[in-house]
Amino acid sequence: MKRAWQITCLAFVALAVFTLVLSFEYPYMDRLGPGPGFFPFWLSLITGALSLALFFHTTLAKRVGYGSGTLLPDRLGALRIMIILVGLVGGLVIFETLGFRITLLLFLFFLPLALGVRNWWLTLIIATAGSFGVFHVFYYWLKLPLPIGVFGI
Amino acid sequence: MEAFQYWLQGFSVATLPANLMFAFIGCVLGTLIGVLPGLGPAAGTAILIPITFNLDPIGAIIMLSAIYYGAMYGGTITSVLVNVPGEAASVITCLDGFQMAKQGRAGPALGIAAIGSFIGGTFATFALMVVSLPLATFALRFGPPEVFALLVVGLSLVTGLSGRSLLAALIMTFFGIMLAMIGMDPVRGAPRFTFGIAPLYDGVGFVPVVMGLFGVGEILVSMEKPVLEIIKTKLTDLLPNRKEWKVSTGAIGRGTIIGFFLGLIPGIGAIIPTFVAYVVEKKVSKHPEKFGTGVIEGVASPETANNSYANGAMIPLLTLGIPGSPTLAVIMGAFIIHGLTPGPFLFKERPDVVWGLIASLYLGNIMLLILNLPLVGFWAKLLEIRYQYLYPGILLFCILGAYSLNQSVFDVGVMVAFGVLGYIFRKLDWPLAPTILALILGPMMERALRTSLEISGGDMSILITRPISAILLIVAAIVLISPAVRGVAKRAGKD
Repeated sequence: MKRAWQITCLAFVALAVFTLVLSFEYPYMDRLGPGPGFFPFWLSLITGALSLALFFHTTLAKRVGYGSGTLLPDRLGALRIMIILVGLVGGLVIFETLGFRITLLLFLFFLPLALGVRNWWLTLIIATAGSFGVFHVFYYWLKLPLPIGVFGI
Repeated sequence: MEAFQYWLQGFSVATLPANLMFAFIGCVLGTLIGVLPGLGPAAGTAILIPITFNLDPIGAIIMLSAIYYGAMYGGTITSVLVNVPGEAASVITCLDGFQMAKQGRAGPALGIAAIGSFIGGTFATFALMVVSLPLATFALRFGPPEVFALLVVGLSLVTGLSGRSLLAALIMTFFGIMLAMIGMDPVRGAPRFTFGIAPLYDGVGFVPVVMGLFGVGEILVSMEKPVLEIIKTKLTDLLPNRKEWKVSTGAIGRGTIIGFFLGLIPGIGAIIPTFVAYVVEKKVSKHPEKFGTGVIEGVASPETANNSYANGAMIPLLTLGIPGSPTLAVIMGAFIIHGLTPGPFLFKERPDVVWGLIASLYLGNIMLLILNLPLVGFWAKLLEIRYQYLYPGILLFCILGAYSLNQSVFDVGVMVAFGVLGYIFRKLDWPLAPTILALILGPMMERALRTSLEISGGDMSILITRPISAILLIVAAIVLISPAVRGVAKRAGKD
């Protein structure tokens, strides 16, 4: 976990440097007072300093606040997490093309099967009811605009 | 007399049939969110914001607030029956609640939790009615330097009280403010850090970020060990026996007071009041050794404190515009979406909203008592849903909530990205609450600081030469420095 903390600190240092460099694109002061670059400049400096301080604190201290667990899950846990993430990213890609109902139907059908459900027809019923039912409630009753895909569904 | 008129106005607003219905729907949805593992009140409230888009602002805020305190009730059910808290504030309830369930006493455990929550919530609402008007009137004297100092205090409390590492908590706070800088500059209106990406001109939406960090992130963590074992127990007898009533009365009274006063401190979060209430109860008990084996006081006191805190924490939000927890930050965001800014001016400009909301808290507490006692068996049944169906179902609502805010797939992407970050930060044990609060408060903070400096012609001393601002900044410094001083003293003591 110590290594994970160190890497995270360095990631924040990088983010702070990136923000600091970008902050120079905006005026630090203008005729009325502090400009749009004022806050980002100081914020990135402080964030960078804090991240470096935590990095050195973590590196030098024998024992700091970090947890004793491991960052990475076991194989089965990692597999389940990957399934969820692939499902989310896949859904994201086809969301506007295929529309809410088809995307969520596929999402609610394939995700449970990939997570170990064997009863595919029950899953299909739940997925159909879930995706079409939710669409009906939110689109027609609550008047929320949701995407309709290329098939008009 | 003026206050009494406002109270009457509040009740006349809250008892409108439509608002009663919104409070009821909020209570049901809140209990559901509390019951379902993997969906906390912050993400749950954020997901449901789009439902309120077409509602009148009062109805919307009443419903979202009911979701917030309803989740506090619902979280108890999983703590008692599954030994898994439905939301973080119910962690301590697992200790005695689950033991009671194992002994076949789940009914009285859930019953006393509902009754204690009702009493605690009602007391805190009454206190909210009494103190909010004078506090808001006082806060009207605040200019930009005082507002900036107040926001610094709010963020310092959230930062200082969360997580094991103060430095990590500070970094997370500044990360939230950095995210808040994306979009239009709050003073001049010029775009910043948008990289030519059109959706970024509106900034990073707090709803997708909350749903990512608290919804998707929580689900990803839960996926590591997703199977729950439910205790099968009789839920017919919900009322405690005479002996249990006797010991619970004092516990409920103490829990009410502890929860309310800790609710006044922004950033303390819902967990600390429940732990303090439990520890106090153990200290005053004649048989402290029995705590953890299934004593009813161990459920009554923290559960009462939990709801007393939830309603008490509304005071800093409504009077000062400082949200004390991520869920309250979401509610504050919902206020803003509906064109309302919580704080002293809201009492002046929209008393119907403020007093209508406060009055609805009373009614919501009564609704929750009615909903929870007879329907405990129904809520418990929901826990039997297989995680393979439950988590995709929750994610469906996350996608829906993130998309429908701006009809933007980009927001869904933001939610997924922050879901991964939420997972990583949870594993690292870095606190997430400061990021959310900073994201909401960041633009206000920047506006207040820059306006202060415009007033003073760039002289920073304006922040310390005005008495209220100076006092507030000293408080913030004490909050941030004290953990470090305690750490050094502890180490010196060991040496």
